[in-house]
Amino acid sequence: MHISDGVLPLAVTIGGYAASAGLATWSARRIHSRDLPKVAVVTSAFFVASLVHIPFGPTSTHLLLPGLAGALLGPAAFVAIGLGLLLQSVLFQFGGITALGANAVMMGVPAVVCGWFFQQFKGRTQARQAIAGGLAGALGTALAAVFLAALLVAGGEDFFGVAKLALAAHVPVIVIEGVISGFTIGFLARVKPVLLQSSFQDAAGPMHD
Amino acid sequence: MTKLQKGLVMGLLCFSLAGLSGPLWAQNPPEDSTGEIIALLKEQNSALSADLRRIQREIAALRADLDKPGIKDVFAGIGYIFGLFGAAAFAASRRRE
Repeated sequence: MHISDGVLPLAVTIGGYAASAGLATWSARRIHSRDLPKVAVVTSAFFVASLVHIPFGPTSTHLLLPGLAGALLGPAAFVAIGLGLLLQSVLFQFGGITALGANAVMMGVPAVVCGWFFQQFKGRTQARQAIAGGLAGALGTALAAVFLAALLVAGGEDFFGVAKLALAAHVPVIVIEGVISGFTIGFLARVKPVLLQSSFQDAAGPMHD
Repeated sequence: MTKLQKGLVMGLLCFSLAGLSGPLWAQNPPEDSTGEIIALLKEQNSALSADLRRIQREIAALRADLDKPGIKDVFAGIGYIFGLFGAAAFAASRRRE
């Protein structure tokens, strides 16, 4: 779900850029320099995931992974997703370059919300972390579909109609992302639990880059 | 080049030209009935246009394939991401010193 060029009115385009610039600054200040490699790897995974197509009836959709990125990165997910979307629009022609701000808000905000959700509910045990991760993965895509509808309303569409359509089109992706995120986070909880501690808590002090 | 060689070359050229299959009207001498010729031409025409349609379809499929991002784009993007984060890490490490 990428918004293309020329779909959104000018005010929403500019508003999207302004909001995503602010959020990206906030997010970049939250990245600790020791986390940079992790952020880079998750960004690459997000960038490539959109090429994994899932055939569904007559159409095909693709993975998005905002929930997984959020769960792994916390606040840093916004920078990761913004950069991933920029490169996707330049290299893959997914989504327009003018709609980049709106696209970043549409996927980045759900990612950060999912990261917060995951940190709140992840608990201690591995099974619970996997379940919370799966829920975060599903929630990320569902929220992104709702944001998509909200942004398209600004273009003069009817909110509930678009929201229903967007959610219906993404039901298979929501399910698949939930499963993938659950398995990924379950695996990481088993082999490298440190990766699942994102910086919502320890971001109080002044950060380096 | 001697005269003999020139003559030989010309002879060979004429021979090969004579051997070439000419266009339809040359193969079928004009004393044939024109209806037959027109039928043949129509047949050839339909065969050609079928071929042309197939080729056009193939070009469209190729163009659709070209629009899809390839493995090069994927690695270019991953390279950009790692490069940018590498630069960020470098800047961060410089600032801390």
